[in-house]
Amino acid sequence: MARLGSERLQGHVTPDRLLAYLLIAPTIAVLLALTIYPLIYSIKVSFQSNSGTATLQNFTRLLTDQFFLSALSHTFVYAAIALTVEFLLGLGLALLLDSQIRARNVWRTLLLVPMMLPPVVVGVVWRLMLNSNFGAVNGTLKSFGVNTDALTWTASPKLAMASVIIADVWQWTPFMFLILLAGLQAIPREPYEAALTDGSSAWQTFQHVTLPLLKPAILIALLLRTMDLLRVFDHIFILTEGGPGLATETLGLYIYRTAFRFSNFGYAAAMSFVLLIITNIISAGYIRLLQTRET
Amino acid sequence: MNRRISRTVKYAVLVMALLATLAPVYWMTTISFKREVDQFALPPKWFVFPPTLEHYADAFVNRSFGQYLFNSLFIAVASTICALVIGTLAAYALARFRLPWNLDRKLALWILSTRMFPAIVTAVPLFLIMRALWLVNTRLSLIIVYTSLNLPFVVWMMRGFFAEVPRDLEEAAMVDGDSRMGALWRVVLPLVAPGLAATAVFCLIVSWNEFLFALVLTQTDDAMTLPVGIAGRVTQYGIKWGAMSAAAVVAMIPILVFALSVQRYLVRGLSLGAVKG
Repeated sequence: MARLGSERLQGHVTPDRLLAYLLIAPTIAVLLALTIYPLIYSIKVSFQSNSGTATLQNFTRLLTDQFFLSALSHTFVYAAIALTVEFLLGLGLALLLDSQIRARNVWRTLLLVPMMLPPVVVGVVWRLMLNSNFGAVNGTLKSFGVNTDALTWTASPKLAMASVIIADVWQWTPFMFLILLAGLQAIPREPYEAALTDGSSAWQTFQHVTLPLLKPAILIALLLRTMDLLRVFDHIFILTEGGPGLATETLGLYIYRTAFRFSNFGYAAAMSFVLLIITNIISAGYIRLLQTRET
Repeated sequence: MNRRISRTVKYAVLVMALLATLAPVYWMTTISFKREVDQFALPPKWFVFPPTLEHYADAFVNRSFGQYLFNSLFIAVASTICALVIGTLAAYALARFRLPWNLDRKLALWILSTRMFPAIVTAVPLFLIMRALWLVNTRLSLIIVYTSLNLPFVVWMMRGFFAEVPRDLEEAAMVDGDSRMGALWRVVLPLVAPGLAATAVFCLIVSWNEFLFALVLTQTDDAMTLPVGIAGRVTQYGIKWGAMSAAAVVAMIPILVFALSVQRYLVRGLSLGAVKG
């Protein structure tokens, strides 16, 4: 009977190791076939014109493409605003639920509901809420005597961006709240007791005890949300389809349109690389911050 | 006195947050049970209206939503089973064996990194590959894609659950003459059954909710899933609000039931074990 991997003989194949390789092989094979191979295929496609000849055009076009640049800026605006609002609301709710609250688990469960819904359903929910003819938002405002004629939400270029951000905040604030609450509940009691005996104010305690200890959870929550926000697609597609005009067209939607409406796969592949690179750079930044948390 | 005020404020804020959370879902649900004349009423009818099931009948009998529902279920269950079987084996190996050159750690991280690709990046080439294989508009194409989406997740979740099982149990079983796989099957798997169930539910949710790949790979009723069916109705002119809401409610209910059943593991699942919940 083999001891369980206690000896690390470099490269020495034991029956146990052979079994391990056999067990891992199917997973590796599936992931190679369905993520790495498509990626390589995508690189090939991005250096081809539509007729299949080799070209750099797909990458040079990026720099002068108005639509691409506006999609890029929409993506950043959307991500920055949604991330900030979701973080602040999520942190507030997490701090609230971390304090003395009756029936804490019931509150927590109910507040998590939006996060569980299919993104498409969230799109439907907000189309119904924000509809300017019979939507509950304007209907409710009207009954309080507010003039809602100008509030056409998804139909006006200015408010459309607000609409898709509202839907995102509604669906994903619970995610921030959940991760931050878990982080808060993992903080030991001792530092708080120490702060109490030092006579720190509540704000000082929050600044010097809670925030530093919560930092890993904050960074993980921000990292996961940022990655998702940069690739946002589903509920914008349902709510506005990138419109009106191109007011809410983010990178994800523009790539989709390029590939599946105009069948320009090479250009879509090139743009999706830019999205991948941006995502990786930002993730790497977060991960570096995470690793320096011992400071 | 001060204390009482702050407590009142606390609960007031919570109630407002709860209203903002649940009112939109409730609103959509009422739309699905309202006659059209009541849907457009101003001020909005929140509580009192004669209920009707006509929109449910319309969506699932007259339109193809019954077919979409079946497709969604079939694809979610099949891809979950595939991902669980393949991923659990790898997770066990990664939890139990030390490989040379730190390969076990490196492989685990590489598996996780495949989860980080934005879907749209792989959607374009996957569509071209599936088209070349004549798999566009088949349920199989989505089962394959969702299996790969869920795999990293299964590996990381299950690796954590296996790590919590003491090794002595397997060793004892192997002393008693079981093979390693026999010990895994008879001793370890029953112990991680709750974790396996939670992981399965997570996979079901991901597959059930997924939209982009389904939109790209299924354009006909044969394989279209519920989210794509709903989206197709939304983005046309002359939207049938009632039928759409009815379909959305049906898409929402099983997910809510499932998600609430795995609440205990939610944090661990969402952060892939990075935050202990």
